[in-house]
Amino acid sequence: MEFKLEAHRIVSISLGKIYNSRVQRGGIKLHKNLLVSLVLRSARQVYLSDPCPGLYLAGPTGTPAVPPPQQPGEPVAGPPSGWGEPPPPAGRAAWPEPEPQPQRPVVCHTPGAGSSEPLSSGAGDALRGEETDTAAAAWSRVERPRAAASGGGSDTCPEGPRAVRRPCGCPPTREEQPVEDGSPAPTAPCPRKRGAAGVGGGRAGCPAPGSTPLKKPRRNSEEQPSTTDEDTDEEMETGNVANLISIFGSSFSGLLRKSPAGGREEEEAEKSGPEAAEPGQICCDKPVLRDMSPWSTAIVAF
Amino acid sequence: MPSHRMPSEADIISTVEFNHTGELLATGDKGGRVVIFQREPESKNAPHSQGEYDVYSTFQSHEPEFDYLKSLEIEEKINKIKWLPQQNAAHSLLSTNDKTIKLWKITERDKRPEGYNLKDEEGKLKDLSTVTSLQVPVLKPMDLMVEVSPRRIFANGHTYHINSISVNSDCETYMSADDLRINLWHLAITDRSFNIVDIKPANMEDLTEVITASEFHPHHCNLFVYSSSKGSLRLCDMRAAALCDKHSKLFEEPEDPSNRSFFSEIISSVSDVKFSHSGRYMLTRDYLTVKVWDLNMEARPIETYQVHDYLRSKLCSLYESDCIFDKFECAWNGSDSVIMTGAYNNFFRMFDRNTKRDVTLEASRESSKPRAVLKPRRVCVGGKRRRDDISVDSLDFTKKILHTAWHPAENIIAIAATNNLYIFQDKVNSDMH
Repeated sequence: MEFKLEAHRIVSISLGKIYNSRVQRGGIKLHKNLLVSLVLRSARQVYLSDPCPGLYLAGPTGTPAVPPPQQPGEPVAGPPSGWGEPPPPAGRAAWPEPEPQPQRPVVCHTPGAGSSEPLSSGAGDALRGEETDTAAAAWSRVERPRAAASGGGSDTCPEGPRAVRRPCGCPPTREEQPVEDGSPAPTAPCPRKRGAAGVGGGRAGCPAPGSTPLKKPRRNSEEQPSTTDEDTDEEMETGNVANLISIFGSSFSGLLRKSPAGGREEEEAEKSGPEAAEPGQICCDKPVLRDMSPWSTAIVAF
Repeated sequence: MPSHRMPSEADIISTVEFNHTGELLATGDKGGRVVIFQREPESKNAPHSQGEYDVYSTFQSHEPEFDYLKSLEIEEKINKIKWLPQQNAAHSLLSTNDKTIKLWKITERDKRPEGYNLKDEEGKLKDLSTVTSLQVPVLKPMDLMVEVSPRRIFANGHTYHINSISVNSDCETYMSADDLRINLWHLAITDRSFNIVDIKPANMEDLTEVITASEFHPHHCNLFVYSSSKGSLRLCDMRAAALCDKHSKLFEEPEDPSNRSFFSEIISSVSDVKFSHSGRYMLTRDYLTVKVWDLNMEARPIETYQVHDYLRSKLCSLYESDCIFDKFECAWNGSDSVIMTGAYNNFFRMFDRNTKRDVTLEASRESSKPRAVLKPRRVCVGGKRRRDDISVDSLDFTKKILHTAWHPAENIIAIAATNNLYIFQDKVNSDMH
């Protein structure tokens, strides 16, 4: 039981660190956040695997009622999938920055060109973290960089306000909602990744604003008959933490990889992106996001 | 020399490095400044001030930048300074922040030409009608002026934050490492670099480790090592392949299962790696220990020294305070017989590899009057407490010694304690033993 308390505390602390890292000067430190995510994963495992009756959470990984501890032979689950290029500071943008050609041994740099590599679709959660609540505020805040960024690379998406972008890499619309392919948008359509992102969507889908999500979040689709997290309210507000963890679990596919079914599905969805130089995106549904507290929304955004 | 301005975050020293002779000592700080100290030649006239370091030059190396495309501020903090081997009268060093490496040339001017025909003393053109004869300008001595100029700027090579730079023994190339990649540069070419290590996974969700430090071998220009956040070291040979993703040797110690905790992974992350001067060994620092590795043995380090094992039971609160992420450096002495690293409470530790004795010393104004002898300190962990012991709970974790350097030949050490630089000299045992 003490382990659970400790694990809970560590989860809270870790989430706070991840959240704060988005506002620190100099950008997100990849090393530190990787370490924090490893701690988070360990704490979460302990929290979930402690066989206390009634504390079972809605299976984010589709695992049975008492999830077994991770087998030593299992591949190391990666960190949260928000491991795209370090996302900009909080509220600014949900979009990771572009990625230089990594595979060539010789990288030519012309002055200033280094930053204007093709805009990739970026990694998982940074995309999903389109905090529409804060996007409106961020929209006005990033107006200024737009002028400066107009000289971006030719095959990048027009560098509109970075506050909001569709997961497929297309520039945002005025409503700052992801739109389906073909919908009129005030900015030029993005040449990349429309197919993978728009059609059918799956994990990478861009649900139309306000419409029913094309695919339910992972935890529901794999849900086994189980107790919900709401009735496990202990004195430590596990309900809230359970929410966080279940969202957490569905968001970070690296952690999900422990579950064979979930992992495979995730991988397939990611591989569906043809031009994916970057890892594929995993969209979490807006309605789900909106139901969460701002705290957990921020974590998912990361 | 301690900073005389009001202490501010910009004054926090972020790197310390002696040059190859030990005559010069460079420090970088969070404000992007570099301060170079020079050792005064020992003179018979003033024997009490022999060999002390005075400020030689100060310049602004890096400025804060804003990357508009990524909406990211780039800190001006100097992460590392590395001296180039001296090839002429000038000195050169490389300094780097998170994104950009700069080559600085430091020259002295102690003479100036006088007696120009066409210009007067102030440099104004003379009235030609007053010039009746020609003279040859002569060089006259002047007050020493140290001039620093940026000779090369190596920009746009890194997406992630640069953590190390290392000059090759060939004196022509150097490498820079960020979290996921290592690039090889030629000192004369700024518009391109070779990527020699790339551990970025195709799917970033698979990321499990990052590069934390890297260094060229001191003698073999084809060999370099890089350390990872998982506690492993990889020795790579540039002659084996253009892309050194496959290591030649992997140095890794299996984890002790009895020490497993939530924070095992964090404390095993290597924060610094240094080749010995001989090139035979490597020194690594992780959160609680320093380890000596033999290049010929990959299975485990040959020596492990506990820096502050009493912190092992406090990892959770150190995690909360972010102290667990502190990156301590380590250093060899000139003869590779003693290793040194910093700790908290402005303590630093030295381990003698031969005698197996270790000592804890403190860098503070109170205990370091000029020419005073440093008193060994002790942290008590319960049990008998001696008079001057410090208890673990009263350690000041805001006073951390992350950066230390050892003179290449003599027993002189430079210790950076937040915004103060301490230089200690062992007069009694000046020669290496």
